[in-house]
Amino acid sequence: MAAHRDWLGLKMELPPRRRLQLTILSFVLPLALWSAISYVPFLWHPLVHITDPGDSEYFSADMDVPRADFLSQNRELAAAGQKPAAGYRVNPVYLPAPHAVVRAFYTAFTTPPRLPNEPWLHESLAHSIRTITLGFLFSSIIGVPLGILCGTYRFFARLTEPFVEFFRYLPAPAFGALCVAILGIDDGPKIAIIIIGTFFQQVLVISNTVRKVDPALIEAAQTLGSRGWRLVRRVIIPASITDIYTDMRILLGWAWTYLIVAEVVGTMSGITYFINQQARYRNFDNVYAAIMMIGIIGLTTDFFLAWLGTKLFPWKRRRVAGTAKITPWLKFFPSKAAPKSSPIPAA
Amino acid sequence: MAQILSVEGRPQVLANPGRLTRMIAPAIDLPDYRQLAPEVAARFERIRKRPVILKVHELEKTFGEGPERHVVFDHVSLDIHRREFLTVIGPSGCGKSTLVRIVAGLEEATSGEVFLDEHAVSAPGPDRGMVFQGYTLFPWLTVKRNVMFGLEMRGKSTASAQSEARSWIDMVGLAKFENSYPHELSGGMKQRVAIARALANEPRILLMDEPFGALDSLTRCKMQSYLLQIWKKVDVTILFITHDLDEAIYLSDRILVLGTNPGGVREVIENPVPRPRSPDQAISPEYLALKTRLDELIHGTAEETEEEKLPMARMTLAGDDVE
Repeated sequence: MAAHRDWLGLKMELPPRRRLQLTILSFVLPLALWSAISYVPFLWHPLVHITDPGDSEYFSADMDVPRADFLSQNRELAAAGQKPAAGYRVNPVYLPAPHAVVRAFYTAFTTPPRLPNEPWLHESLAHSIRTITLGFLFSSIIGVPLGILCGTYRFFARLTEPFVEFFRYLPAPAFGALCVAILGIDDGPKIAIIIIGTFFQQVLVISNTVRKVDPALIEAAQTLGSRGWRLVRRVIIPASITDIYTDMRILLGWAWTYLIVAEVVGTMSGITYFINQQARYRNFDNVYAAIMMIGIIGLTTDFFLAWLGTKLFPWKRRRVAGTAKITPWLKFFPSKAAPKSSPIPAA
Repeated sequence: MAQILSVEGRPQVLANPGRLTRMIAPAIDLPDYRQLAPEVAARFERIRKRPVILKVHELEKTFGEGPERHVVFDHVSLDIHRREFLTVIGPSGCGKSTLVRIVAGLEEATSGEVFLDEHAVSAPGPDRGMVFQGYTLFPWLTVKRNVMFGLEMRGKSTASAQSEARSWIDMVGLAKFENSYPHELSGGMKQRVAIARALANEPRILLMDEPFGALDSLTRCKMQSYLLQIWKKVDVTILFITHDLDEAIYLSDRILVLGTNPGGVREVIENPVPRPRSPDQAISPEYLALKTRLDELIHGTAEETEEEKLPMARMTLAGDDVE
């Protein structure tokens, strides 16, 4: 009973060790599946890699052929008394084995680009990070203050939100051609697409968050003599800042999605360009490595921002559970618990 | 001082006074609640001579229009004198919170005026401090910064706000917790911070909207005695909203009883229980007399309060050893 409660308690938080075990397992399980398909030949391996074509007219060495074709060809060759082809079972080239991808994490950085004017992988990554940072920054410089204004004053909400609501349904990639026409083919249109994709959501999400500030806090501040802009600065913004911070973390995740779209606009650039080139060269191990790098960068950033949040907002430390819905990772950072209030004098 | 009443020769502990009062009251000859002992009458005389701090004139609050129109209360008038402790009591829906929120400037009256020191008020301001049932401490500020909030809003320098805040925190006995965040405090401690925060602004009147309603009954009793101690030390007038009869009697000088259907003032009662107050007084004759009267005003007379039988079908096969 107790063990059952430890693993499957309804809506109950698991002990820290169990949480860690499950987190590791959540990565180990897909990896195990991938390894099984890659290393156990009879599970899938639908192709045959020809080592010796024998007397076959169709096959040549280092060719991958479907297993059915290989077997029927060999039957024909055997019937004709000719030398059968030899080979071993492999997976398609688009599914490299885990070790190849792991190796690619290193070799992708050390392999010089094929063409002299192509960027190295680290240059591609830096380009992507610069694009997303600039796009998100420009969007936030206008979006966050506007969101706060809309959340605070109905005037600004009525003035902007209907249009923003309409605009947010226009898919950012639809503006690709327009952005190129206006801003050229370099980074301008890419940053613009990230801004279009982020800004309108940002205004709505943040104004909603600000609107949810407990009205009792505002009333309390009013009875303490706080009014106007000072009320916004001293009460409304601090009361919503932790939730705005969480919103920003989620929005940054969306911005990464728009990055991949943005990078194919105009001249293809950044990590998307790298992935496309590698796919063209059929270096699928590099393709997988590059895709995973995006995940790792995204997760690391969020990880860091979550940790930074606990430092910036000490009064939220005990309420980690709220943010944990988005990032269970946060829990692995032991936040320094604020000094426990020792013997509480009879209230 | 408190006269012990006994039933069948045993001293009674008032575990459930509401019920007990109703049981005892008809059996025992209670004094008239309007009869004031000479020293109590003299105290009211002194209070009446003090200047009026808050004047409420013909206040009316209605919701809706035409046939939908609902009158919460009308013709509410009252004067509160300097350093007077006035409680407003009434059943739920009588608009007692609405009344105090209008005084605070957080809601608008349909008609009528509120005067503070003879000036009409309509917007919230630091001259009317308010303590809410839900604590409403700013979670991002420490205890000290919470108490400093109003002082800083009035333009005090950080240093002087800090030292003033400290002395208020000392007064509510939370000096050790001045650097704690609200979520680290118990409910009673939070409410003490809220009181210190409101008082730090040195308001003309302290409005308290069921401030101890969310606390457990033991904590509530302690908070009531704290509040009386604070009120004694600070030059402040208190308008206190509650639905708890004992709380109203224990704390107040006068009690304003609001009713529903039709809404409005039922009675303004001068509390005959002498000061200083102590929980022992809960079994004194004047306490019981007042409580019986309040009980009548709020819950109706004994005949009217016959508990309604629920139209419930019998849903058990068990024996009838439960009631």
